[in-house]
Amino acid sequence: MRALVVFAHPVPESFGAALRDTTVAALRNAGHEVKLLDLYASGFDPVMGADERRVYNEPGINELPVADHLALIKWCEILVFVYPTWWYGPPAMLKGWLERVWVPHVTFTMPTATQGPRPGMTNIRKIAVVTTCGASWMLSKFVGEPGKRILLRGIRTLCHPLCRTSYTAHYKMDSSTPESRARYLEKVSRKIGKL
Amino acid sequence: MRVLVLYAHPVETSFQAAVHRTVVEALTHAGHQVDDCDLYAEGFDPVLSRLERIDYHDLARNRRNVDPYVERLLKAEALVLVYPVWNFGFPAILKGFFDRVFLPGVSFRMEGGKAVNNLQNIRKLAAVATYGGARWKALLVGDPPRRSVKRVLRAQTRPFGRVPYLAHYDMNRSTEATRSAFLRRVSKEMERF
Repeated sequence: MRALVVFAHPVPESFGAALRDTTVAALRNAGHEVKLLDLYASGFDPVMGADERRVYNEPGINELPVADHLALIKWCEILVFVYPTWWYGPPAMLKGWLERVWVPHVTFTMPTATQGPRPGMTNIRKIAVVTTCGASWMLSKFVGEPGKRILLRGIRTLCHPLCRTSYTAHYKMDSSTPESRARYLEKVSRKIGKL
Repeated sequence: MRVLVLYAHPVETSFQAAVHRTVVEALTHAGHQVDDCDLYAEGFDPVLSRLERIDYHDLARNRRNVDPYVERLLKAEALVLVYPVWNFGFPAILKGFFDRVFLPGVSFRMEGGKAVNNLQNIRKLAAVATYGGARWKALLVGDPPRRSVKRVLRAQTRPFGRVPYLAHYDMNRSTEATRSAFLRRVSKEMERF
């Protein structure tokens, strides 16, 4: 299948980069065709400006500033997000990518008086998240994992109705060890390889 | 009280801008001292950089690039967020405020290996939001921004009493009547904040 990996981490030499490489390798080994979108490296601007917001609801026109990104999400069947969880959610860089790229009339149809919004990205059949959390599993669950909900519930509603989801996290990153990180890389490889 | 208002919307003629004006006017009218932080107007950069990430846990260096914002946050006695919900969460410019300003030594400090909440100066908390979709849809998704306010922010500050969360859902199908009713509700709630 066609897989798009969306990666957001500011430090090229970080553990996040190892997660990105492991994810891409696992997808390739499983026979998928992979494209990588590195938001920090490509200098993506996550801030939706006033001009863009004014035409946000205009069909066709709202696609122009992000046409190449829209082409990528229309191309893929598997979508994998690799990012560090900051303040229980995706980094602003990734959050801004969602709001600027996943525009109405393309990724969903606007609701009318009688009909609710309908998904537009039915080409996407699997969404996966690979992340690291400073917080513990317990605390993350208590807070309700806003980041996981945005991607695996929110964005999922715009994809194929039978779209499957997968979530992998290394909790308590600040007290991680070389062993726990190596174990996590193996787990990511295994889970992503099975997508 | 000294109230820090964090506002995130780029368009001056938007409904969200009217909501923002209503919030600031009602708070001022009620006698509060308002520090109105318009993130778009101030050109806030929400992107945490490589160097900031590397210095993140270094308390002497981590706030260098955002020091004025840290000062405003530490001086506040109350916090009011005003934002549209975009793609199921805070706009990136607001999410980035938490990424870059809610630092170790600012929003929490480490004591004996445990994180202790540090924003004890903030005694009141509220959020005023607009949602494109219907309420049932936000609930189905688990309403991530409501959780961020009611659970994450609430835990990191020390609010007494309830945390008002005022939301206008289903903006895509809103009418003049629903919008003006919402502004009246916001005004009333902020007057007695």
